[in-house]
Amino acid sequence: MEDSNKGNIDRTGLEPEYEVPKSRLWRSNLFQSWLNRRLPPSDSISLNQSNIFILPTRQGLYFLILIFFMLVAGINYQNSLVYALAFLLISMLMVSILHTFRNLSGLTIQAGQTQAAFAGEDAEFDVRLIRHGKRTFEAIVLGWNPDLLQGADLLEGTEVRVKLFVETSQRGIMNPGRMLIQTYYPVGLFRAWSWVDLNMSSVVYPQPLIAGDIPLALSTTDEGEMMQKQGVDDFHGLREYRAGDSLRHIAWKSFARTEELLVKEFAAHVDRRVWLDWEFFQGMDREARLSRLCYWVVQLSRTTDEYGLRLPGVEIAPGSGIEHKNRVLTELAMFEIEVG
Amino acid sequence: MVGFAIPRNSLAWMLAAQAAVIAPHVVRLPIWVTLVCVGCGLWRVMVYQGRWSYPRRWVKVVFVLIGVTGILLGYQKFYGLEPAIALLIIAFVLKLLEMHHKRDAYIVILLAYFVAITEFLFYQTIPYTLYMLIAVTMITAALIGLHQTKSHVRPTETLKTAVLLLGQSVPLMMVLFVLFPRISPLWTVPLPTNVARTGVTDSMTPGDISLLTQSDGLAFKATFESTPPLFSRLYWRGIVLSEFDGQTWSREAQLTQNSWRTGATVPGWVSDIEYQGDEQRYEIVLEPTQQKWLFSLAVPTLVDHPSLEILHDYRIASRSVVRQRLRYKVKSHLRYVVERELSDFSRYRNTRIPKYSNPRSQVLVKQMFKKSGSIPGFINNVLRMYNLEEFVYTLRPTLLGDDSVDGFLFESRRGFCEHFAGSFTFMMRAAGIPARVVLGYQGGEYNPRGNYVSVRQFDAHAWAEVWLEDGGWVRIDPTAAVAPERIERGLEAAVELEDTFLEDTPLSIFKYRQLLWLTDLRLRLDAVGHYWDTWVVGYTPETQMGVLEKFFGDLDRKRLGMIMLTVFFSILGIIGVVMLAKKSSTVLAPIDDEYLEFCRLMEKWGIGRRTGEGPLDYAQRIGMEKPELRQQINNVTSAYVEKNYIHPDTASVHDLKKAVRALRFRTLTATR
Repeated sequence: MEDSNKGNIDRTGLEPEYEVPKSRLWRSNLFQSWLNRRLPPSDSISLNQSNIFILPTRQGLYFLILIFFMLVAGINYQNSLVYALAFLLISMLMVSILHTFRNLSGLTIQAGQTQAAFAGEDAEFDVRLIRHGKRTFEAIVLGWNPDLLQGADLLEGTEVRVKLFVETSQRGIMNPGRMLIQTYYPVGLFRAWSWVDLNMSSVVYPQPLIAGDIPLALSTTDEGEMMQKQGVDDFHGLREYRAGDSLRHIAWKSFARTEELLVKEFAAHVDRRVWLDWEFFQGMDREARLSRLCYWVVQLSRTTDEYGLRLPGVEIAPGSGIEHKNRVLTELAMFEIEVG
Repeated sequence: MVGFAIPRNSLAWMLAAQAAVIAPHVVRLPIWVTLVCVGCGLWRVMVYQGRWSYPRRWVKVVFVLIGVTGILLGYQKFYGLEPAIALLIIAFVLKLLEMHHKRDAYIVILLAYFVAITEFLFYQTIPYTLYMLIAVTMITAALIGLHQTKSHVRPTETLKTAVLLLGQSVPLMMVLFVLFPRISPLWTVPLPTNVARTGVTDSMTPGDISLLTQSDGLAFKATFESTPPLFSRLYWRGIVLSEFDGQTWSREAQLTQNSWRTGATVPGWVSDIEYQGDEQRYEIVLEPTQQKWLFSLAVPTLVDHPSLEILHDYRIASRSVVRQRLRYKVKSHLRYVVERELSDFSRYRNTRIPKYSNPRSQVLVKQMFKKSGSIPGFINNVLRMYNLEEFVYTLRPTLLGDDSVDGFLFESRRGFCEHFAGSFTFMMRAAGIPARVVLGYQGGEYNPRGNYVSVRQFDAHAWAEVWLEDGGWVRIDPTAAVAPERIERGLEAAVELEDTFLEDTPLSIFKYRQLLWLTDLRLRLDAVGHYWDTWVVGYTPETQMGVLEKFFGDLDRKRLGMIMLTVFFSILGIIGVVMLAKKSSTVLAPIDDEYLEFCRLMEKWGIGRRTGEGPLDYAQRIGMEKPELRQQINNVTSAYVEKNYIHPDTASVHDLKKAVRALRFRTLTATR
C-alpha cells in the first residue's frame, strides 16, 4: 500500500486512519459564529496561537493512566528510577504539547484552484501549504470530508499542494465550508487542529442523465439538412469506386490517366450546429431537463460539433471547445439559482 | 476488514525496542518464554513482508493458554514479581501478532514503557539506567513513527525526533524528581525472590566462609561522617552463634522468637551497656541478603529506621527479610563494656558444649588451663599456641571428620578463620569461660573520594567473643594470632604467598589491585556509583525532606507542590519560547541560499547578477565573459532551474550543492 514517493502526499481513502473526534460541537451555530469572528474566511490563512486548538487525545489519557500505574509502582517499591521514568514520561507528555502545537503554528494555508464537478461526484479543491522559515511540518492532515482526509509533509521545499475532494449532491455553487486541518505529530498524545474557511467554492454541474441519442430530429432550427452525409455542392475529394456508386461521379479524367477507377466525392455543407433546447423535454421537471441537457453537452463536447444552449431567458450561441463547454455547463449549473 | 498497515518506521523501532526491553529479563525468564518472544518477533516480520498472515483466532487462544499454563507450571504461582513479569512479557509479545488497528500498536508501545520499568526492580546501576534510557528512546521513536505519514521512511530521523523530545523532557524530569513529594508505600508488593542468598549464613561449618570469600560481590557500603576507624578495628558484626554440636556452630534456637528488644524500655541486655566513647556515625547501604540480620560495628546505639531493632546481643536485625537494598544509619561506640553482669542463663548457654565431643581437645584445655592459672593467662596461652606452633592460615584447609576441633588442633593445623574462631571458642567453653562465635565481615576498602568503606564478600570473617569478669564481652580474634596481615591489610595480603585470593574468578578486577591506575580508576567509578546510589537511587522520602529543608527551610506538602509547579512550568515555558521563536527568523529555502551563494561567488569574478536577470540569461552572460567557467556555471544553473522550476518535488538540492561547492573550490584556488 505504499504510495509513490514522488509527492509528499499520501492518500488514505481506504482506511479511516486519521480519526476525527465524534463531537459535533463545531457544527453548532453558536460555535460557528464565534469561529467566524475569530477565524474569518480568507483565501490565505496563517495558523498561530489565536486559531489553533489543542487538546489531549484518548491515547493521551491512556498514557496518563500508564504514568499513574508507574508512579504507584515507584511508590510501592520505593524505587527512585521507576519514579524517574514516570517523571520523564510526564515531562514528555507536556513537551509534546509544544511540539504538536509547533507542527501547525506558522503554517500558511492558501486556497488553490478548484475543479468543477457533476453533482454526485467529488469536486476537487487544491490547497497549498506554505512554510516560511526553516521549520518543517510533518504529518499534517486536512480535508473537508472526515473519511477522506489527506496527509501531507512539508519537509523539503517551501510548499506542498494537496488535492482534496468533496462530495457534491446538487448542482449550483458548492461552498464546502470550514476545512479541518489537524495534526497528531509527533506522539499522538495531543491533537492540534483548526477549522479554516478558505473561501473556496466550486461550481457543481447537474448530474448527467442518459437521454438516448441526441435528438437532432427535434432540432427546431431552420438551417435544415444538417445530417446529410453527401451533398452535391462542393467537390470534396476522390475515393475508390465502390459498387453502386453513381456513374456520373466517376472521375473519368483521372481514370484515363491512371486507369484507376475513382469516384468524385461531393460534400454538402454539413452544418453541425446543434441547439440544445429546454423545450425538448416537455413534461419533465426542471432538474430532469437540466440533467438531460447536461448529458448532451458532455456527449457533444467529445465531437467537433458546435452546440448552443437555449434555456428560458438564456441563450448561448453554438460553439465548441473547453471554454465553451464550461460556459454552457456553468449556465446549466446556475440556472434559476440565486447567487447570494 | 482492511488491515491497518503500521508504518515501516514504527514497526522497525517497535521490534527493536521490544527486544531491548526484554533482553535484560532473559536471564531470569524460563528459556521457553524467550523462544516465544523471538518467535513472535519473527512472525511479525514475516507478516510485514507479506509472507505469512496474522495467526487465526484459535491459534492465538492456544498461544495464550500455553503461556498461562507454562507460567503456572514453571513458577507454581501467579502472585510474585517474576511470574507477573513473565506474564506481562508474554502478553506484550503476543500482542504483536494482533496489530489490526492503530489502537493495538498503542497498547504494544504502552506495554513496552511498562516492561522498561520492571527492570529497575532488579537493578538500579548507572549502566542499566543508561541502557533503559536508550530503550525508552527507541520506544518513543516507535510512537513517533506511528504518527508519521507513510512517505516518511527514514528511521534515523524518527530517532532524532525522539532524542529531541526526550532531551527536552530531561530538565523537567529532574525538577519533578527532586521536588515531587515522595510518599511511603501504599501497600506491600511482591519483591524479587529468585535471588540466591548471599553473604554470611546463620551457621558455621568449617569451609563455609572460605567458600564465601571466592566472591568479590559487594556486601555493603558504609559512609562515615568523620574519619573511619583503622582497618583492623572494622569488625562488622552480623550474627552471633552460641550453639555447637561438635561440628557446626549455629544460632540459638529458642530465643529467636522473643529476642526483640524495643530500646531501653525493657530491662535487660541492651540497657546493660556502658558507652566509653570513640563514637562513629555512619550510614550503611546493605545489598539484598535474603536474610534478616544487618551489620554494624560494636556497639550500635541508634538506628534511625522504623523497621529495624537492636537485639539482646547488640546487633541489628530487620523485621523482614532484606530483599531490596537497605539503607540505615548507625551510631557506634567503639569502646564499651556490655553485660558486666552475666545472667546464669546466659552463662549456661555460652559455656555449653556436647559432653563427649572432641575429647582430645577437652583434655588439652584442662592441661593448659591448669598451667595458666588465670583466665587471661589461659587465653594468652591459647593464642600463643596458634602463633608459635605450626598453624597455617590457608584458603585450602584439609577436610575434617566428625570431631572437627580435634582434627584441626591435632592433625591438619591448616585452617581458615572459621577453624580458628571455632576451635578457640570451643577451647574457651571447655575451660568454662563463656564464649561465642561472631560472623560478619572484617575490614573493607576505603574510598577517600566518598569517605566510605566498601565491604565485599571476600571480607567475610569469623571471630570470637569471650566474657570476662569486669570486662563484659570482649572481642578476641584468633586469626590475628596466626595471620595478623589478614586483620591489618585484608585477605589478599594474608594469602599472598599461597596465591589463592579469588582463585575461582580469575577475571575479577580485585585481583589486579597492584595495578595502581586500575585501582584508581575503579575507585573513581565506584565513587560515582556511590553518589548515584546515595542521591538518585537512595532518594527516599527522608532524603528528600533532608535536602529540601536545606534549601527551602521548613516545607509542607502544599508549598512544595507550589514550588514544583512553578519551576516546572517556567522551564516548560522557556523550552516553548526557544522552540517557537525560531519561526520569526525567516530563512531562505536551501536552494535559494545556494543560488545566492553562487551569485556572491560570481561577484568575486567580477560578474554580478543584474536586478531582474533570470538565471539562464545570467548564465549565458557569464559564459560569454568567462568561457573557462562555462561548464560549471551550467551545472549550477541547470540544477537550480531543475529544482526550482521543473521538478520542485523530486529534484534534489544535493546536485545544486555539489555544483556550488565545486565552483567555490575553483574560486578559492583561482583568486589565490
